[in-house]
Amino acid sequence: MIFVENLNKKFGPNHVLKGIDCHIREREVVCVIGPSGSGKSTFLRCMNGLETISSGSIVINKHRLDDSKTNINLVRQEAGMVFQHFNLFPHLKVIDNVMLAPLKVAKTSKEEARAKAEMLLTKVGLAEKMDTFPGNLSGGQMQRVAIARALAMDPKIMLFDEPTSALDPEIVGEVLAVMKDLANEGMTMVVVTHEMGFAREVADRVIFMDQGRIVEEGTPEEIFSSPQHGRTQGFLSKVL
Amino acid sequence: MFRPFEWQDLIPLAQGAWLTIQLCAVSGILGVIFGLILGIARTSPSRIARWISTIYISCVRGIPVLVIIFFVFFGIPLLFPGLEPDKFASAVIALTCFAAAYVAEIVRGSIEAVAKGQSEAADALGLNYWRKLTYVILPQAVKIMVPPGIGFLIGLVKDSSLVTVTGLLELTHAGNIVTNLTGDPIKTFLVVAGMYFVICYGISRLGRLYEKRTGVHVDPLKLPEPAGI
Repeated sequence: MIFVENLNKKFGPNHVLKGIDCHIREREVVCVIGPSGSGKSTFLRCMNGLETISSGSIVINKHRLDDSKTNINLVRQEAGMVFQHFNLFPHLKVIDNVMLAPLKVAKTSKEEARAKAEMLLTKVGLAEKMDTFPGNLSGGQMQRVAIARALAMDPKIMLFDEPTSALDPEIVGEVLAVMKDLANEGMTMVVVTHEMGFAREVADRVIFMDQGRIVEEGTPEEIFSSPQHGRTQGFLSKVL
Repeated sequence: MFRPFEWQDLIPLAQGAWLTIQLCAVSGILGVIFGLILGIARTSPSRIARWISTIYISCVRGIPVLVIIFFVFFGIPLLFPGLEPDKFASAVIALTCFAAAYVAEIVRGSIEAVAKGQSEAADALGLNYWRKLTYVILPQAVKIMVPPGIGFLIGLVKDSSLVTVTGLLELTHAGNIVTNLTGDPIKTFLVVAGMYFVICYGISRLGRLYEKRTGVHVDPLKLPEPAGI
């Protein structure tokens, strides 16, 4: 589903990603962990073209991201993205946030888009907030709306960029619950996260990144119970 | 040879004020339209569009309004023989050229003030550039650009007094003529100043009305909404 080969990303003199190779299968849930500045968010953002690639290749569902002839907006419709800071559109009501892309990008009819949005908002437990503006929601609610918005385009892949890092600890759970439901439904997911409990419970595979490289990857059991690499051990001893 | 300032002298002044209002309304509206186009071009992904708009904006902002007025008034008939716009049209062209450049900078600043995450979220949903601009960026940017826009419009009314040099009978020119008739510049220009003040105050009240209706504070010092909503 996602093939990443020798991916390099440089910001000026900063070499942020140094030759990432990674293959993510359909219906797989992959959690990417690692210290700040390890390049894990950049890696995720490369997967839907929010960052350009310096060298290497990324293929998502047969679309080559490094090919300039690829229509990036088609790729983005297949890969939904959820941001750390939600990035809801503050001038649009919750339901309109969810309906925007289906209406304007997929050209769905208004009735259909609305029915879909209502279904998704019910799914994330926010049906009663449909007609409020994002500014009146709590962080957890905003992030759940953001998930519904990303799902509205029927993506085949969902990318999560530290979805709970900006949330108060007591409301992290409501967002993780929605993500867990998605994983159980068989969504292909790549989750950059600091929630080790979530990674351990939900992930099929955990990738540990440090200094722009994948240091170690394996099942949650392998990574959390018997990490092989010294840097993985050091990181986990601090966060667990 | 002079006669005292009389009530009837208010008539040419009021006519001048009305012409000033018309002049500023027309060039203000045209300036906003062209300013929007230029400001959007200034932030567009197209290098040529950015290049052209940047050159235009820098040039106009580096030239005194008075020079632009002279250039249009004397230059157009020479550059385009046969084309002789009347004084009002010349003034509108000059003030529109001037206003467009300044409005463009306000538009650019407002577009850039919309949180970067908004643009990324629109990208991630697959919205192309124009849809992103139309449905996500501009609705938020417009709220940010109104307060400085109102401030600029007030400046435009005051700067419009410079077109008096072309002989157009706007408020300042009317004041001059009445002074020549009455020999009483103090009374005359007090009335002229009062009329300018009323026009400018009216515009700032319009801004306050907008503030009340939208909750956006028409205060140039107010920072845009924090990121993360």
